[in-house]
Amino acid sequence: MSKGDMQDCLTLAIESSCDETSAAVLRGGREILSNIISTQIPVHQKFGGVVPEIASRKHIVNIMPVIDEALREAKVKLSDIGQVAVTYGPGLVGALLVGVSAAKALAFSLDVPLIGVNHLEGHIFANFLSAPELEPPFVALVVSGGHTALVRVKGYHEFELMGQTRDDAAGEAFDKIARVMGLPYPGGPEIDRLAKEGNPDAIDFPRALEEKGNYEFSFSGLKSAVLNYLNSMQQKGEEIHRADVAASFQKAVIEVLAEKALEAVGETGMDKLVLAGGVAANSSLEERLRTACEEKGIRFYFPSKALCTDNAAMIGCRGYYQALAGDGSDFYLNAVPNLGLRSISAKE
Amino acid sequence: MSILAIDTSTQVSSVAVVSDGKLAAELTMQAKLTHSETLLPHIEEVLGMANQKKEELEGIAVSLGPGSFTGLRIGLATAKAMAYALQLPIVGVPTLRALAWHFPVEGFQLLPMIDAQKGNVYVERYMWEHGKLLKKTEVQVLPVEEVIRRTEELPGTVVLMGDVISKRIEGKQTLPMHVMLAPLHLRMPRAANVALCGLELLKEGKTGNVMDMEPVYIRRSEAEVLWEKRHGKAI
Repeated sequence: MSKGDMQDCLTLAIESSCDETSAAVLRGGREILSNIISTQIPVHQKFGGVVPEIASRKHIVNIMPVIDEALREAKVKLSDIGQVAVTYGPGLVGALLVGVSAAKALAFSLDVPLIGVNHLEGHIFANFLSAPELEPPFVALVVSGGHTALVRVKGYHEFELMGQTRDDAAGEAFDKIARVMGLPYPGGPEIDRLAKEGNPDAIDFPRALEEKGNYEFSFSGLKSAVLNYLNSMQQKGEEIHRADVAASFQKAVIEVLAEKALEAVGETGMDKLVLAGGVAANSSLEERLRTACEEKGIRFYFPSKALCTDNAAMIGCRGYYQALAGDGSDFYLNAVPNLGLRSISAKE
Repeated sequence: MSILAIDTSTQVSSVAVVSDGKLAAELTMQAKLTHSETLLPHIEEVLGMANQKKEELEGIAVSLGPGSFTGLRIGLATAKAMAYALQLPIVGVPTLRALAWHFPVEGFQLLPMIDAQKGNVYVERYMWEHGKLLKKTEVQVLPVEEVIRRTEELPGTVVLMGDVISKRIEGKQTLPMHVMLAPLHLRMPRAANVALCGLELLKEGKTGNVMDMEPVYIRRSEAEVLWEKRHGKAI
């Protein structure tokens, strides 16, 4: 397909990596015709976290209605679809397999290309949907439940992984601490809310890997420090100011993320910073980065709330640019639960 | 009538096309490959071998379970999306019923069994009478030893079949004289059986709806069972 044809090409995208079943239709790379998201959050709340088998059971029931609704809302016929994009990792294997299996069968039945998409790259590309004027190059800070990374996005299909977390992702630390503090699942937004009422300087939690030029992250030490603090306070029988704990913990995470991201932008000589991933919905992180970017004359982008959560539109966007670069999949495509971010050179 | 049939309920991956009263092609493999990778390529291969255009199919039959939860979902997601895109009727075939199609012989007590983990099996009892396959006992989850003990009370020849035979019975359990194990080629689920069983269900108008079909799990998720134990009430 030529670039001209691609601009009108309709992409059907499917996302089922965790606890949202989603399908979207895009015209070209950036025009969302529909983006249907069926969330399972209420189902998993009882268990204090996502239960993989229950998630898979919901996906297999929801997958076709969600696809059907995406086509209807987009007012397009299935036969008009030019390609099918699907998340193949990272995520829960059983959940991913529902989307991957359906996408393969749709692409085969329609005789159209299949494009396996990395969910984390999808989160970065959500920004192209929120900001039509955004173009590479830029630095992306990816912060999600399972990943924390800095990526230098040189082109639509040329990335350099500058650094990622050595242990826990930022989102994992949020979830774990929320759980211990008895906050409902998902914990990230709850801590964000609670932190607004607390003093971020009340407790001095440690920050790891602060030396200049190090773009790796580590949050397991911070996580342990918060858990130890809660434990020892409890043992001493002292009252825990939960809002202060939330605010101080959140500040420690956000400071590390912001400092490293701004340093990365400075080092690469870029003028744009892009925030991506589920934790991008954290209002304090967004505020801190926005203020810091304003001071330094850096343009700051983050996705709209709807595009921060797991959604198929971002997968469609990433899939579109993969198709332009000739990066499609065959019918042997499998789910890769621990798929990471990696560097992609221009030639690939 | 041309029908595509799929069975991914166990380690066996099986795809078949039955067309105008012929088993046009079948691909049945148990090679430790993952269903997620091979199912769609196998479907493409079998349709090619059968010289069957997918657009000219008239139905899809899929093995619904019980069986491996993930395997069942791979098969069902594939079947649903194909049925939706090609606008075909879909029929969900009970996995144990399809197994009983291996022995369409009057007088035999047929006990198809699928591994239910933790030492248990899913088991049903079938008999053929006047050319019809009749279910005599509804699905039960039992220890394999209990199934064998119960065969002692059954009159006539008893045939055991399913993935449990090779895994946990053959050479490991002592069987009463009137109990036989299905031979290898009639032991595991095969898509040809799913097609034949599916054709019958289609004729009876027992089609499924891609918008709400689910596998037959029998067992609930571990998390739900534990939750109820811990809270002492239904979830």
